[in-house]
Amino acid sequence: MKKTIIAISALILCACNPDTWNLDVTGMFSGSSPGINQRVEDSFRYNDEHGYPVINATSENYKVYIATDTHVDFTRDNWERFINDYRADTNCPLAIHLGDLVNAQNHWDYMKRPLDSIPANPLKHDTLLVVVGNHDLYFNQWKEYLLRWKTATYYAIVKTPAGKQDLYIFIDTGEGILGERQTEWLKQTLTWADGQGFRHIAVSTHTNLFKRDSSQENSSNMPLEETYALIHLLKMHNVKMFWCGHDHSREITNLGTMMAITVDALKDPEAHPAYMIATMSDEDIHYRFVDLK
Amino acid sequence: MNKRITLLILMAMTATLPMSAQVQYGTNQYAVRMNVGYNHNTTYGSHAGFDFGAFMPINQHFEMQADLRFTTAKNHALGVQLRPKFAVPVGEMFVEGRLQANFYPRDGFNDMTQAIGIGYRMEYVSVLFGMSTRLIIESPYDWHANSNIIVEPFNFCYRIEAFVRPTTSPWNISLCISNMTDYQIERVWQPIFMANGRYNIDEHWQVNLSALCKPTGMFHLNAKYYAAEVRAGFAYAF
Repeated sequence: MKKTIIAISALILCACNPDTWNLDVTGMFSGSSPGINQRVEDSFRYNDEHGYPVINATSENYKVYIATDTHVDFTRDNWERFINDYRADTNCPLAIHLGDLVNAQNHWDYMKRPLDSIPANPLKHDTLLVVVGNHDLYFNQWKEYLLRWKTATYYAIVKTPAGKQDLYIFIDTGEGILGERQTEWLKQTLTWADGQGFRHIAVSTHTNLFKRDSSQENSSNMPLEETYALIHLLKMHNVKMFWCGHDHSREITNLGTMMAITVDALKDPEAHPAYMIATMSDEDIHYRFVDLK
Repeated sequence: MNKRITLLILMAMTATLPMSAQVQYGTNQYAVRMNVGYNHNTTYGSHAGFDFGAFMPINQHFEMQADLRFTTAKNHALGVQLRPKFAVPVGEMFVEGRLQANFYPRDGFNDMTQAIGIGYRMEYVSVLFGMSTRLIIESPYDWHANSNIIVEPFNFCYRIEAFVRPTTSPWNISLCISNMTDYQIERVWQPIFMANGRYNIDEHWQVNLSALCKPTGMFHLNAKYYAAEVRAGFAYAF
């Protein structure tokens, strides 16, 4: 009788949540991927050898396409649509993915294949910059991420034809904290940026800052202390945009001089899949969402 | 498992003495307490904490608790708990209302959290489930901006605590999982593991020792160490 009850309960649980089979439950107590300090060292090793990307835009008012939480497993329709869209736009020198590229292990190559098969536009603008999400880490997937994407803590510079520069900083919050080493790097990078005259600074990461609506379901945030310390640091150095995902639901928080935007999930199926387009201009950063349904 | 996490969990599990003024079933004496603590988290590093509290059993149906804390990381807290309680055939039912203010002057934020929950406590177990609402306020407050207050309207609160000895025992140890401490109410998916102990030296004096471990990313399924704390102090019951 007891075994029957356990079996039925397990079946009900799995039926309610098809992702159950992909949950790394041991990760609740001890994550299998390396901790943040080790991951940051791995990222820095690549950065030191290869430098940071510098991308040339063809317009002062260029566009950045931003997607998140594709959770690719057995389908990738929305993901392919996003790649097609940003590669067809000749005014888009780069696209950004804010993490949770795959849902769980064994889907990395399937996720990455459209990037090789969908052609770039005539201007060859096909750059995609990514950060790591929590789904990209559990089941010890950091090595898979690293193999394909090389780094999760870095920055990129976009230069406009008039010589103006925008700075894009990518930070790893795949386990909900920045860690000491990455925080130190972020402080140093922002301090350096203060003297460079960047037109705009935008920070991209996976984990969202606040729980302002009831959409959070079972997604962890950063601890409160970490949330406040991070916002304070970013605002102190005139960061204008903080782009994140993780929550799967659009949320726009005005923090005075900085805007924090949680972008909708792009996974299939999703009730309201969307991606965001940010237009960088001399005056400001404008954003709009593209709903796929 | 990472050695550091193992050590911290062991430390939390084996900490012997008590507790702040957490719910203590059957206590009917006014008491004040003072604790000194060592804290570490990956945001602020190592820092010290000093906390003071008062426990006020107004009558057999109502008790109050007030807590005040300062840390050298400039993260301060002030909290009040109101607890109407009702005897049931076994144990007590109680309603817990909390008002918690946290101040983070180094980061330019303050937050105020209101929580209400329903609990049940017996000799060996105490459980509480409730909801909280948080107002996050940027500091200094700009009266001319509309962006200074962030509201997190709904959050689930819980506290499950198990004691090894009955309330009347001169000493007790408890293990607790909760997203609330006496000084902070965290988000639902940010559990905090605590161990508390107390030893009553005599009818007035009590010594306390408590420890906590706060992992991060538990529901990222990639849990790692975030914070730990050890507190020691005494309480005086009138």
